[in-house]
Amino acid sequence: MREKLELLKTEALKAIEEAAGEDALQEVRIRFLGRKGELTALMKGLGALSSEERPVVGQLVNTIRDEIESRIEVGLSSAREQAKAKRIQSERVDVTLPGRRQLNGTKHPITLVIEEVCDIFAGLGFSVAEGPEIEHDWYNFEALNFPPEHPARDMQDTFFVENNLLLRTHTSPVQIRTMLKQKPPLRIIAPGTVYRCDSDATHSPMFHQIEGLMVDKGITFADLKGILTVFTNQLFGQKSSVRLRPSFFPFTEPSAEVDISCVLCGGKGCRVCKNSGWLEILGAGMVDPEVYRHVKYDADEISGFAFGMGIERIAMLKYGINDMRLLFENDIRFLRQF
Amino acid sequence: MKVTYNWLKECVDFDLTPEQLSDLLTMLGLEVEGMEKSGAGLDDVVVALVEEKKQHPNADKLSLCRVNNGKEILDVVCGAQNFQAGDTVALAQIGAVLPGDFKIKRSKIRGEESCGMLCSEKELGLAEESAGIMILPAGLTLGQPVFEALGLKDTLLEIGLTPNRADCLSVIGIAREIAAKLGKSYTYPHTPIREGEESVDKIIGVTIEDAEFCPRYAARYISGCRIAPSPEWLVKRLNAVGFRSINNVVDVTNLVMMELGHPLHAFDCDQLAEHRIVVRRAGEGEGFVSLDGQKRSLLSTDLVICDAERPVALAGIMGGENSEISDSTTNILLESAWFLPSAIRKTSKRLGLHTESSHRFERGADIGGVIRALDRAAGLIAELAGGKVAKGVIDSYPGKSEPSRIAFRPERANQMIGINLVDSQIRDILTRLECEIADQADGSWEVTAPTYRVDIEREIDLIEEIARVNGFDKIPATMPEAQVVSDRPSAHQQLERFVRDGLVASGMNEIINFSFTAPDAADKLLLGADDPRRAVIRLANPLIEEQSVMRTSLLPEMLETLARNINLRSLDLKLFEMRRIYLAKGDNMPHEPIFVVGAISGSREREGWCQARGAVDFYDAKGIVENLFEQLRIEGVKWVADTPEPFYHPGKSCSIMVGKKRVGSIGEIHPTVQENFGLEKPVYCFELDFEQLVDLSCQKYTVKAPSRFPDSSRDIAMLVSAELPAESIIECVKSVKSSDVERVEIFDLYCGTGIPEGFKSIAIRIRYRSYERTLTEDEIGLIHKKIIDSLVNKLKVSVR
Repeated sequence: MREKLELLKTEALKAIEEAAGEDALQEVRIRFLGRKGELTALMKGLGALSSEERPVVGQLVNTIRDEIESRIEVGLSSAREQAKAKRIQSERVDVTLPGRRQLNGTKHPITLVIEEVCDIFAGLGFSVAEGPEIEHDWYNFEALNFPPEHPARDMQDTFFVENNLLLRTHTSPVQIRTMLKQKPPLRIIAPGTVYRCDSDATHSPMFHQIEGLMVDKGITFADLKGILTVFTNQLFGQKSSVRLRPSFFPFTEPSAEVDISCVLCGGKGCRVCKNSGWLEILGAGMVDPEVYRHVKYDADEISGFAFGMGIERIAMLKYGINDMRLLFENDIRFLRQF
Repeated sequence: MKVTYNWLKECVDFDLTPEQLSDLLTMLGLEVEGMEKSGAGLDDVVVALVEEKKQHPNADKLSLCRVNNGKEILDVVCGAQNFQAGDTVALAQIGAVLPGDFKIKRSKIRGEESCGMLCSEKELGLAEESAGIMILPAGLTLGQPVFEALGLKDTLLEIGLTPNRADCLSVIGIAREIAAKLGKSYTYPHTPIREGEESVDKIIGVTIEDAEFCPRYAARYISGCRIAPSPEWLVKRLNAVGFRSINNVVDVTNLVMMELGHPLHAFDCDQLAEHRIVVRRAGEGEGFVSLDGQKRSLLSTDLVICDAERPVALAGIMGGENSEISDSTTNILLESAWFLPSAIRKTSKRLGLHTESSHRFERGADIGGVIRALDRAAGLIAELAGGKVAKGVIDSYPGKSEPSRIAFRPERANQMIGINLVDSQIRDILTRLECEIADQADGSWEVTAPTYRVDIEREIDLIEEIARVNGFDKIPATMPEAQVVSDRPSAHQQLERFVRDGLVASGMNEIINFSFTAPDAADKLLLGADDPRRAVIRLANPLIEEQSVMRTSLLPEMLETLARNINLRSLDLKLFEMRRIYLAKGDNMPHEPIFVVGAISGSREREGWCQARGAVDFYDAKGIVENLFEQLRIEGVKWVADTPEPFYHPGKSCSIMVGKKRVGSIGEIHPTVQENFGLEKPVYCFELDFEQLVDLSCQKYTVKAPSRFPDSSRDIAMLVSAELPAESIIECVKSVKSSDVERVEIFDLYCGTGIPEGFKSIAIRIRYRSYERTLTEDEIGLIHKKIIDSLVNKLKVSVR
């Protein structure tokens, strides 16, 4: 009996060793350990042994079974590892094929710039104000110190509609509407659509502006310079420097054109800045006392500044667009780039 | 405004290069928009002496010259005949580039070598025409660039003036600015006048009938003039700043206008009835032929200069044909006047007649400079046309007023600008600007600005001058000390961004179209005759008819945008626009609500190796809107097939309702509208009233923790009437109110083979799940049976 068991063990271990792969190992298990297997068959002979010998041989049977079992397990797990390694080795994707995609949506560049500028000014404590695009002459011109028959009106070619209404030529009437509604202190920013009857490569009959207004006690022209410096640095990067030049707007005094160092050449001079190193991006100034008179603020009590910028101009500089008309042609090949 | 560097130097002594001058002016608010150097790039054209000239051996008309440029003797072939050995000439050396990009190279002409070219004035851009080469005066340094040697080096500055700076519409005006900035003095151009014996008021007379429109009118009389072409210096000076030379008298008036900024007019005095000037308003409909030959019909708001009988000039704008200086003119009445800016502007604008003169008068000429300009011009005319100036000046000045004294607080200037100048610095700046200062007992000042500064009327105007002349670059950048008053963006502003973000997340591209459209847009949309969107707001002065009315719908431009892109072979489009529309409100301000329009066309997916490319349909559009409403947390949305709009396919469109409010519509564009816009493939659109979305959007909400128990799903396939809206099935399921029904979905829709006519097969999946426990088969079976019973009883479905 013992000899038979030892022989079976030797045979089983040899079979395990020779078995190739998971299936062969399962067959070995059935052959030796299955219900009709060789070990089971041998165990049937246990009954014929003496009562002294039976537990000893029984013990031996268990030991041999455990050993075969564990050898099979080891074999199986290594066979599975091998199979996995082989599968991994054979599997490949072409990572250069394009992925499965949806079409991306985009916002219009004008919207992007308006949102960005409003966000910057929100951080500086300005809230957003709005006003109508079809506007009274009084808000668009008179209250802003453009008297009738004043040459300054030539600066803005106006579209007229009936009832003494017009398409606003700038976002500045929002200043007037806000000051009539609110008392100082106030800080507002007013993005919007404006119109002038002019159309060529650099002028569009419809375009966009953002107006800013801050009125409080003791506001200075130096504060205007400070706010605009922070703003342009945030919009165009810390390196841009700001230059204020005297200019003229009927509703501000002193008035300034605000230049930033050219974002393309860094101030060395290029085609975009016409070799001056500077780009004009803003008009600004201290609110004219005449404007305060129209909105019934006391010009001796408070002071403030206003500024306005063209959104198209900023979008063109920011995204390297050289023809303003592209912004309104709505060619999807253009729009998808934003 | 054009002015040259050399001309300015005649009036003020400064030590700046043209570039430095340009910076200085720009930083004073006189923006230099362009600079043009005469003789730029012509440094290789030098003074040379012709040492020898002989006949070219192979050409009759050419000569061989030996030319000395101060360094060497060069051989040059020349075709001109008007010179000889010993003449000083302009030699373009090898490498020179003449105007017109004409490069001078070493060449062989008929076998003889030529090392350069002898130039004519025309070739150097100095004259329109020239006969032969340019002969230079003897004694110039050989080898020196010609432009330098002749003193022709100059720089033309183009200055973009703001409308407030009327005083700078002249050379002297700009010179004054330079002088003020640099603390230098300047000199007015001046010609001494030798007056005749006869007193001017014996010869001519001036009557002002309207002292409001014409507060001052001065005149001189010059007799015995000979009208002739102007001398070369005058022609060149005028040409340099863009004026055409006419004759010696008219040119002088233009020159003095450019020098001093004051427009003048010269009349042929013999054409003036009674040698008299009457300044009055025109009669209604009075006719007048201006210098340009145009017949003009005048109004009583127009000011005219008349003789004893008829208008002879449109005051401050243009002279008349009947009294203009002609070749036979001998006696001249020279006018120097001042007219009310608003009056000049009104007339000039109405007649569309904008002249150098009206440009200055409507911005405000110097009423104190009338006589200076008159005298300068009279002196020059006498000098150039050989006339005699009568004794004295007629100076009718009924509108004389005291100069306004401005109360000024120096500390206010510092406060406003944010700088710290001491009083003496402020006083110095104002003095340099020729302001007079009178100290007041309370420490404030009373300042009187010079008459040419019509823009200085108030304290703030003086403050600006101080900031400007002291230098904007000296103003520090500070942050305001103010309380923060910022409000959060309103719900309207927040949602505006939110809706855009939502549509972009659905893969849509935002477009922006013009707010104006064509008047026939409503027709193309098939809008009914009484549709309120036909009540458009019309522009009085549109650029073109296609942009002459304000939009009442965003759809026409959207469809045009689609068509334009499709023509460019961009076929798969998902576009939206979110802008205002403009609705007339009778006599009130128009209403400008924001609308959202979306449109989709083409394939659902991107083109690709792994993607099926199904065409978009109604449900793609609806899905976008459903997503948006979910993001906006608008609930209770109903899709009501009530053929809402004439521009939609009636069977494939609906209103979008929330409660009783119609918030928009959606549908396939009507085939006829599609044709009207040149669209070949179907387009699906939606239109949403943003203002309503703002009202309905719920920004406050709470969320629920998900159940921790397992779910179980049951399907029901049923045969229903083809007309039955799918939504009623879902509603019927939900009407069996059970908290254990987690979700109901339609997962299959089929009609066709195997389904009887007039029916469709719909399959729904119900997912059951409890918040409290794992549901048993029996519990689920009970609810599921109730649902099936309800479907069968209420909707008469047959379960398959």
